[in-house]
Amino acid sequence: MSNLDVFTLDIIQNSLQAIADEMFTAMRKAAMSPIIYEVLDMGTGITDAQGDIASSGAGIPAFVGVLDKAVKQILLQHPAPGEIEEGDVFITNDPHSGGVTHLNDVVLAMPVFAKGRLLAWTANIAHWNDVSGMVPGSLSTEATEIFQEGLRLASVKLISRGQPIRSVLQILRCNTRMPDFMEGDLWAGIAAVRGGATRLQALSEKYGIEVFLAAMRAFMELGEKTSLSALLSLPPGHLQKEERQDDGSVFKVAIQITERELIIDLRDNPDQCAGPTNLSRDGTVVAAQMAFKALTAPQGVTNGGTFRPLRVLTRPGSLFDARPPAAEGFYFENLIRVHDLILRCLAERFPERLPAGNFASVCATIIGGVHPDTGRAFTLVEPEIGGWGAERGRDGNNAVYSGLHGETFNCPVEVCEARYGLYVERMALNDEPGGHGQFRGGRGICIDYRIRADASFLTCGYTRAVIAPWGLEQGLEGTHNYIVVVRQDGARERYAMASSISLDAGDLVQVRTGAGGGYGLPADRDPQAVRDDVKNGYVDVDTARSVYGLPL
Amino acid sequence: MGKDGKTVRVATDVGGTFTDLVYFESDAATGDQIIRTAKVDTTPPNFAQGVLNVIQKAAVDLNTVDFLVHGTTVVINALTERRGVKTALITTQGFRDILEIARANRPDYFNLKWVKPAPFVPRYLRQEVSGRLHTDGSEREALDLSHLPDMLRTFRADGVQAIAICLLHAYANPAHEQAVLSEVQRLWPEVSVVASHQITREWREYERSSTTVLSAYVQPIAARYLDNLEAGLREGGYEPPLYIMQSNCGVDSVKHARDIPITMVESGPASGFWAAAELGRLLDEPNLLALDIGGTTAKCSLVRNGQVSIKTDYWIERNRLNAGYPIMVPVVDLVEIGNGGGSIAWVDEFDKLHVGPESAGALPGPAAYGNGGTRVTTTDANLALGRINPDYFCGGELVADMAAVRRAFVQLSERLQLPVDEVARGIVRIANDNMVNALKLVSLSRGHDPRELTLVAFGGGGAMHAVALGQELGVRKVIVPRGASVFSAWGMTMSDLRRDLFINRFVEAERDGALAQTQAFLDELMHNARAQFISEAIAPEQVDLQVYCKLRYQNQEHAVEVALNSDESLTEHWPVIAQRFHSLYEQHYTYRLQAPLEVIGFHLVAVAQIGKLNLQALPITGRPLVEAHKGQRPVDFALEGIHDTAIYDYALLEPQMHFSGPAIIEDAGSTVVVHPGNQVLVDRLGNLHITLTQEGAAS
Repeated sequence: MSNLDVFTLDIIQNSLQAIADEMFTAMRKAAMSPIIYEVLDMGTGITDAQGDIASSGAGIPAFVGVLDKAVKQILLQHPAPGEIEEGDVFITNDPHSGGVTHLNDVVLAMPVFAKGRLLAWTANIAHWNDVSGMVPGSLSTEATEIFQEGLRLASVKLISRGQPIRSVLQILRCNTRMPDFMEGDLWAGIAAVRGGATRLQALSEKYGIEVFLAAMRAFMELGEKTSLSALLSLPPGHLQKEERQDDGSVFKVAIQITERELIIDLRDNPDQCAGPTNLSRDGTVVAAQMAFKALTAPQGVTNGGTFRPLRVLTRPGSLFDARPPAAEGFYFENLIRVHDLILRCLAERFPERLPAGNFASVCATIIGGVHPDTGRAFTLVEPEIGGWGAERGRDGNNAVYSGLHGETFNCPVEVCEARYGLYVERMALNDEPGGHGQFRGGRGICIDYRIRADASFLTCGYTRAVIAPWGLEQGLEGTHNYIVVVRQDGARERYAMASSISLDAGDLVQVRTGAGGGYGLPADRDPQAVRDDVKNGYVDVDTARSVYGLPL
Repeated sequence: MGKDGKTVRVATDVGGTFTDLVYFESDAATGDQIIRTAKVDTTPPNFAQGVLNVIQKAAVDLNTVDFLVHGTTVVINALTERRGVKTALITTQGFRDILEIARANRPDYFNLKWVKPAPFVPRYLRQEVSGRLHTDGSEREALDLSHLPDMLRTFRADGVQAIAICLLHAYANPAHEQAVLSEVQRLWPEVSVVASHQITREWREYERSSTTVLSAYVQPIAARYLDNLEAGLREGGYEPPLYIMQSNCGVDSVKHARDIPITMVESGPASGFWAAAELGRLLDEPNLLALDIGGTTAKCSLVRNGQVSIKTDYWIERNRLNAGYPIMVPVVDLVEIGNGGGSIAWVDEFDKLHVGPESAGALPGPAAYGNGGTRVTTTDANLALGRINPDYFCGGELVADMAAVRRAFVQLSERLQLPVDEVARGIVRIANDNMVNALKLVSLSRGHDPRELTLVAFGGGGAMHAVALGQELGVRKVIVPRGASVFSAWGMTMSDLRRDLFINRFVEAERDGALAQTQAFLDELMHNARAQFISEAIAPEQVDLQVYCKLRYQNQEHAVEVALNSDESLTEHWPVIAQRFHSLYEQHYTYRLQAPLEVIGFHLVAVAQIGKLNLQALPITGRPLVEAHKGQRPVDFALEGIHDTAIYDYALLEPQMHFSGPAIIEDAGSTVVVHPGNQVLVDRLGNLHITLTQEGAAS
């Protein structure tokens, strides 16, 4: 290969990134559901012909590692020649079969051909509002089997050689409580994979198939090199951590760092449970990949090669490697728990590389009912934002999305009130004391939703409602995530994991998310910083005196 | 027109480094035109002085000037350098943290040490008033202003100089904001104050709060600046209205600009894109990709059917790693990337070559400036490839320090283990690729095929890269305007008085009577827009209104703007309008739906023409092309190889001259690189039309 080709490879790699970003923008603009276009609970990516991620668009880090697994499963399910053809689009959502997360997250994947040869795949994933199942929104904390969580699509061909398969579309349409939303979101996703495929074809035509494939291979090698060089800067060793959970169970991790590999061992953990918080092995791998990336090279390239030096050990039949028909609707809380546990184990050993614990819960909040102004059904589905952990030299961020989310946007109050027929009475930082330290944990939030229509419902999945976010280097722990429902008569009910709680007009749903953990001893905090905190109301006068020892 | 039958139009443009002036004089009787340009150093903090300096340097007699328009980077610089005033925010009870919560996104998502942007107003200066509106603007709870006097006393004690007011649902009904505004003005007449409804009538409270806060933050600075400027010009004898370039490609009165300075935020790029659209009208080229390459950035925008696209989705300091800050005002729809002549080439820890976004700026500038720059920039790479003439660097004002260029290349060359010429080609190719991806974002990604577009390239570096970019994109023709380096200022002198109003009004189109009510609302908006111009002494027949209806499928968020013809009403012509929506939607998104439609608002463009230059054709003296031929030199065209190349002096080219590439055309402000096989034709106005015959060879 001549030297000039080095730059050709760079240019192709940059273009892969640009195309993944374009797919993201296209899908966002065309989507019908706020959880896609506003919350951006979605991701886009390009994989190579074998399904290894080549490039991902903006979006959610937890979704970057999903698309490759989905494509690999599609390839496995369609081994015969001619089963995957130009113009096809596949649909997948089954966590037990390449879908990774839960049935609401629907993956669309399209093979990209040039001169009859499979070159790559374009794919995207997005949260659909409702895929049938036992409750509206499809997520129930009562589910004990995946069959109760909705329609399972395991590598199903949806479009054949450019022609939509009508019978599949009919099945999709009949298996949702919100068929119009479903259809809008589906076509937005199809438009995105098709747009990306066209761009990839143009790219390979321009530079030639062999050069295009070489560029993808070289890109993967770069990803691997990046990770390996970061591993070399870490001292080899063996780390362990165990942590009690809100429900009393104990999760354990053991981490082995060598010069060429990081091994995360999660085998010694509880059996899969009867509820919907199970994780597929693929889901556990995604959690480990995110922690690995945060530790090694958070801003370097991320692709299939990045994770080659990572090995994840799980035990089939455990919570982190659940087998069918385990329910997985609320998989995300254990995904974030295991992610947080790995980070905690690493942060205590490398406090200069990672911050203290954050609110670390998706805090999935679902409110549904009939819109009092339009008479149509609505479902608000939102992850919540919260406080982040402090780090050496800096307070934690206030009110951002959890580690599972990234380029995710909260719903504006004005949009929320119009769309869902709720009143938002308050959206503010949560000033409950906690997260103290030389550097302070960031603040979580308070959102108060006033329900306007009778016969509405609330479903929520919050953890860190009992065990607070962890501090680092003697920093204090943060505060809890929870929901309080204040009834018309003033009665208060506290929730963390619950589904289908009945709500009537006038009820108030108070979302509270926690402060992140502190870093270092509170007594070492700069007194001027404490005075500024008091002036701004981040810390109250009593706390300034009692925790920080400030004479006021 | 002046008393002597001459019309004089002057544009001045304050940039970060230089303040530019362009002077156009045309004589109606003889048709003669005089064009002069001048440049002086920008003079912070008293920027108005630089404007007066450049007027003096260009020997402009302000008494004879008929039209003076002014553009400035003062607002964007005050924002990015955090030089605004101490600002407070008054908002709805329960929502003072909206500004700090922002949208809570983490674009740098694998990085757990990511830093969220700090709010422009600290929490103790964000205060609340009670009172609520419904989404339709009706009142839910009365406004309570009883705490306002105490609040303002505290603000005053804290040294606040500007106040922003942003209340929930004020886009639907500004009554509560107006009440707060007038009470603040009554209690504290000296303070600078602005309410969100004065700037925008769109929903999304964080974006509106941010916009209002940023406007308040720069308001006292901008007011002082504009006052000094106006006073200086009046003193010099300038009498007609002073116009200020806006981000929406139009100009506005100095009074309007002083009240809402934030609309000046992208005035520089806007005038360039307007210039491209105007040039397109003169040349009968309605569909253009406009590209402006400067020292630190490249910006591009699409001109479709002669129209620039104006949007309100504008953010500062936003990129792949940073969340940035939204400014919801009408800004020309542009994509900007950190790639310009001064962009630095660097190699990452894995031996991959990158170009930008870091720039060598004006100081030290590229290594070739000989001002101590030790890192290779795009300009240095173009010198190394022979594309820029080292003996005619910066129009002959500088001698390129080629020894410094060679020294700078040594490090990169050793690191990459490649010879200098290979590295230089790599730099130009990677810079071009970055720009191609930006150009695709405004064309292909929005459903427009570059093969149907003409690329217009300007700014100091536009012409250097345009042909390579055009070939990569597959456009058929590249136009390099005469005077490409002062093209933006030319655009200012061609601008109309223009106001863009974006207003949200949610309507389910198929609900009984909804469209009639909406049409009545629209009629009122149109009437008000006209009335405002007329109140400013603009003749009614000068005012032109264009209405875009923002439509979407039920439950979607992003709307498509559908242009309404002047004789169309929503009630009578709904089926035609809906059909237009379906086909536009399909063009953007590749599919259409059966779903019901929703109107979510309007975009009104009110334009008053304030006179335009008629460009005169250049004289043809019959000079042979050979006289413009300065010489030959070897030039490296990357993948197309090294060619012995003809060098032409742009100043000596005249209409109807034509020749083929490879060629280099040099003028004082820029270098035009014509690749092998391209055909060049000089048009009647002196612009270069470069026809691309080779597709996709370069990059």
